[in-house]
Amino acid sequence: MMEAGRNRYGVGEDQVTPRCQTEIEVTHGVGLHARPSVTFTRLAKSFPCSIEIEVNGNNIWLNGKSIVKIMGARIRRGSLLRIRAEGTQAEEAITALKALVARDFDEGIKHGRTA
Amino acid sequence: MAERREFDGKSASPGQGIGPAHLFTFIAGEYVPREGSGEEMEELAKAIDRSVEALSELAARAGGESAEILEFQIEMLTDPSILEMVAERVAAGDGAALAWVGALDDYIERLEDAEDESPRTRAIDVIDIKNRVLGALTGKPVEDFPAGSVYVGTDLAPSLFLAHDWSSGGGIALAKGSEASHVAMLARARGVPMVVATGELEIAEGETLLVDGDAGKVVIDPIESEQPSRERESERDVALQPGPAAPELKAGDGSAIGLHANINDPREIAVIDRGAIDGIGLMRTEFLLSSSAAVADEEKQASLYRLILEWAGEKPVVIRMLDLGGDKQVQGVGGVSGENFMGLRGVRLLLARPELARVQARALLRANVTGNLRVLLPMVALASEVDEIRRIFKLERTYLARRGLTVAMPPIGIMVEVPATALMIDSFHNADFFSFGTNDLAQFLMAAARDNPTVSALHAEAEPAVLRLVRYVMRIARAMGKPVSICGDMAGEPASLPGLLSAGLRNFSVAPSQVGAVRAALAQQTAEHTGQAGG
Repeated sequence: MMEAGRNRYGVGEDQVTPRCQTEIEVTHGVGLHARPSVTFTRLAKSFPCSIEIEVNGNNIWLNGKSIVKIMGARIRRGSLLRIRAEGTQAEEAITALKALVARDFDEGIKHGRTA
Repeated sequence: MAERREFDGKSASPGQGIGPAHLFTFIAGEYVPREGSGEEMEELAKAIDRSVEALSELAARAGGESAEILEFQIEMLTDPSILEMVAERVAAGDGAALAWVGALDDYIERLEDAEDESPRTRAIDVIDIKNRVLGALTGKPVEDFPAGSVYVGTDLAPSLFLAHDWSSGGGIALAKGSEASHVAMLARARGVPMVVATGELEIAEGETLLVDGDAGKVVIDPIESEQPSRERESERDVALQPGPAAPELKAGDGSAIGLHANINDPREIAVIDRGAIDGIGLMRTEFLLSSSAAVADEEKQASLYRLILEWAGEKPVVIRMLDLGGDKQVQGVGGVSGENFMGLRGVRLLLARPELARVQARALLRANVTGNLRVLLPMVALASEVDEIRRIFKLERTYLARRGLTVAMPPIGIMVEVPATALMIDSFHNADFFSFGTNDLAQFLMAAARDNPTVSALHAEAEPAVLRLVRYVMRIARAMGKPVSICGDMAGEPASLPGLLSAGLRNFSVAPSQVGAVRAALAQQTAEHTGQAGG
């Protein structure tokens, strides 16, 4: 699913910005409500690349680092989430975010403060 | 000692008041579109910062579940997207608070619309955020002037009038203005002497000024003998003490007459004898909610409405939804074009800016669990406008009920102040009651703006035309089974009462200061009619 066109980050005419995209179904019980949204956007913000999400192929790409946008997207159990990243560490970001969704946002883990 | 100087004007509110002059230099109460909206956004950003700070403190002390909720709220508030949502509204001229509430309400509605199993869990935290920031935004003090002084200016903002402490006396002298303006109505309701159209007064700050609202003149540095005595003022106070229930009024045909009071602020109950009235026939809300922050504040509105409803007990209280536009502007409510009585005002504005209607509808729905509330819509021209407001009430009722709040749907009636509405009154089956607003009806029938002193003579001649229309509406309303009342200034004119009674009106709502005179006039009418019937 990953269409990674990666290049060395640098100056030049044929420079290609690293891009990466993935698709995953949300399996978490209540979808992206408050707590999973915090987890998701915090992780997204830890990457320097831009991250956008699209829900159920509606062709509306939202800023994946914005909790306001993510909450507003009303992502529920069964929603098909497309995540794309562009820029430095795009591939790492996609891998990490996809894994987080697959792990149900670590909701099962008893929450302690992590930082 | 300075020299005595006298200036003629027009009486806008009777009584005499004296005090040091307070010169107000800019024209207040006028909506000025903002060039830059930077200031409002900065204010909002600061309020958000303060909220985040408070939340962080709470989060540091809290643990587990509640800390997570607080952290979610902090994340939301620190997300730049939240300011982006508001920025557009501020750019359109909304004040920070109103723009904030409008944008967040829209957002919350989207969250609540979700057909998922727990819409409340999503929305409730956002509602919490909304209220926290609103709280941080509001509470800015209004620029007041010393109690007991006489206000001198071109015009007076209703918000300033209402925020001022008039209990120490004083008065109002306006260079321009009109006796039919809303501030004049407020002054009459509160018994504050007021003279308008004095022209520019050559007066220094603090110079003694006498406002003679009986003679319609002002006197700078009056001589001792013409100064109003203290006694008169205390007399006025005594007259406002609560008394026993007044005897029932009856029309010539034996039907009961209702006498109600018009107010602008629940605080006015301090000067109303509840025993002397049958209820509140009109509580305007545009003066009460005289800042965009107040317009946006659901909690504050609900508590103000509850105050009046509790005071009135079983007696009906008619609360009119925001009648902004025309000569009533609110600083920081964008999209309102000023100085046009026939523009986007009243219910038109409420529907054009539904966020205003939504906040008010919620506050009214929540307040309606006590007392006997009726909601009145201003400037209605079409039956579809009533349907649209009803739809907003129903929608908000659903949202509030889902949040577990107790709410009740009030009856919804309309102002009859647009001539077309009077002529087409049979099409308003969807309204629960009708209330004549004769001030607007008169100015529209006469095509004479009531804030324009050059045509005030025309305005005064509108009565026969208004009466014909009242008679027409009464006939049809009776057939429709709809209650009708009148809350315009005409009801407060004892000389106009015979005409209104013969047209079929039985419910009158007047300024608190006019209740006594109108009651006396109505009682006299009753006696005369009864006399005729008997003889």
